[in-house]
Amino acid sequence: MTLGRTESVSSEPIEDRYTGPGLRVEQVSKIYSRRKYWLGPVSQMEALRCISFSVRPGETLGLLGPNGAGKTTLLKIISTLLYPTSGKVEFFGRNVYENPVWARKTTGLITCDERSFYVRLTARQNLAFFAVLFGVPKKTANQRIAELLDTLGLTDSADRPYQSYSSGMRQKMAIARGLLSEPRVALYDEPTRSLDPLSARNIRTWILSNRERWPEQVRILATNQLVEAEMLCDRILVLNRGSIIAHGTVRQIRERWDKRDYAIHRISCSNLLPDGIAAAPERGLISVDHEPVEDGCSVLKMCTRKNSGGLSFGLSAIIESGASVLQCHTDEAPFDEVFCSLLMSEAGDPS
Amino acid sequence: MRLAWAFFKRDAVTALSYRISFAVQLLGNLLVLGLIYFIGKTLGATPLPALQAYGGNFLAFLLIGVALTDCAGVSLLTFAREIREGQLTGTLEATLLSPVRLPAILICSSLWSYFFSAIRFILYLGIGAALYGVSLQHANVGAAAILFLLTVLCFMGVGILWAAVVMVVKRGDTIITTLGYAVLLLGGVLFPSAVLPAWLQKLAQLVPLKHALDGMRLALLVGTPFSELTGIVWKLVLFTAILLPAGFISFHIAIQRAKQNGSLTEF
Repeated sequence: MTLGRTESVSSEPIEDRYTGPGLRVEQVSKIYSRRKYWLGPVSQMEALRCISFSVRPGETLGLLGPNGAGKTTLLKIISTLLYPTSGKVEFFGRNVYENPVWARKTTGLITCDERSFYVRLTARQNLAFFAVLFGVPKKTANQRIAELLDTLGLTDSADRPYQSYSSGMRQKMAIARGLLSEPRVALYDEPTRSLDPLSARNIRTWILSNRERWPEQVRILATNQLVEAEMLCDRILVLNRGSIIAHGTVRQIRERWDKRDYAIHRISCSNLLPDGIAAAPERGLISVDHEPVEDGCSVLKMCTRKNSGGLSFGLSAIIESGASVLQCHTDEAPFDEVFCSLLMSEAGDPS
Repeated sequence: MRLAWAFFKRDAVTALSYRISFAVQLLGNLLVLGLIYFIGKTLGATPLPALQAYGGNFLAFLLIGVALTDCAGVSLLTFAREIREGQLTGTLEATLLSPVRLPAILICSSLWSYFFSAIRFILYLGIGAALYGVSLQHANVGAAAILFLLTVLCFMGVGILWAAVVMVVKRGDTIITTLGYAVLLLGGVLFPSAVLPAWLQKLAQLVPLKHALDGMRLALLVGTPFSELTGIVWKLVLFTAILLPAGFISFHIAIQRAKQNGSLTEF
């Protein structure tokens, strides 16, 4: 690995000559070496092990994993705050460690650290300061700050000192700072960690809307909120103890790691006789529950054994009874259930 | 320029927002002036041969000693304090995420402190001249300005070097305090270094503040022409040429090390 100190920044737009992934992480490993005491033995802790993946422009990659899995370490390596022990990171084909200044211009890291602002300065003063640091021209900066404050609902409190802000407002400030320079690579590190459900939902909706606003932006979202990953990410990468243990779309991961041997279906029917359908475990239909009739529709909740033909049997039984099937919805396994199943499989727990 | 102003404004707003602290700081500076006056008045009556080279006025000697040492002290402490505060508040990482190069961040983050230090320097001299009867009529202001600048640059190097140490050891208050006392002893801040034993005088040659004070006193109190100060100026240039790059290189290494071992935000 080369950790360059100098760099040549080409003025040539990268898009003109580059068509590869927006972000490529190649064989990145991170080992922390520490001495417990002066001249004592060196202990080593492997934080990341041979991590490789890439993200296309416009794509959002979710980083999931339990606490200590290496998500934040990986984001810090990508943003050049931390050097990997081996491997490399490229933005649009350029090694970030050989072009650190350019890389930092290209990146926005949205941390969940509430402390990283100047507490005596107002929100506007803080953002104006960081806008200068990120080289945003003054006119654009004022406009962008006003826009971000407005979008994040901070306009009314923009001239209050940062220290008077609540956790949620501070989190919004971190988001505003990270996106001030309209970075081509946005790294979100648990952006809704300390937010109440309503604020979290607003932030998620806003992040989602940014996909349209900056269609070429590369986004990585490290989160422990599985709903968030499901809602915002095109692909998921699951880390555990520094290694990638699963990689794919939410659907692929759900299909691969859903360990339930049953499925639950909600079927809306008309003209269904009460208790007209009964369970038939030998045919794969484990149970049938009749839910209260709504708007003249009967709703059946059927539990079937997976890949047993239980659903077909149940639907046939409904039709044979003279009723009509209006709608059939199969409940997916909650993603947190799938995620736990994945982690436990990784830990060698067959349950 | 915009970057420098952003840092200056950030620090000015922060400093002025602590109104009582700011007022007390000003009061403290006035008390120092009172202290200088009474020490000078008590001891100034007896002419010391060692002071003759600087015009013979102990009060004036002391005033310039304290004023310039204050400036050197700012250099020594500002950078390390900035780093330490940045580590404690998390702003260091946020600043290092920006594309601004490290030397620019360091220099810009010291501007307010230097500005305030320059104000204090002028205040000390102004009050000294107006109220204490310190004569600056023959002062070689141009030479004094050059010496002031060189002192700032030279101690900036030491300060950045020290910030690199703080980056690694996190807490080093005791080391810097001890170093500060050594500089006070050898630099000739409160008394002429000519009264030190010969071996300490030799050691004092390695302290840039000694040369800076010698030059500043000669320029301001005696009005020594620049041509006679070139020896001192060259010594300060040499110290600056060694210490400033050493500071930046050490700090760069400290940051690289912190990025390697993940200790950037440890405190």
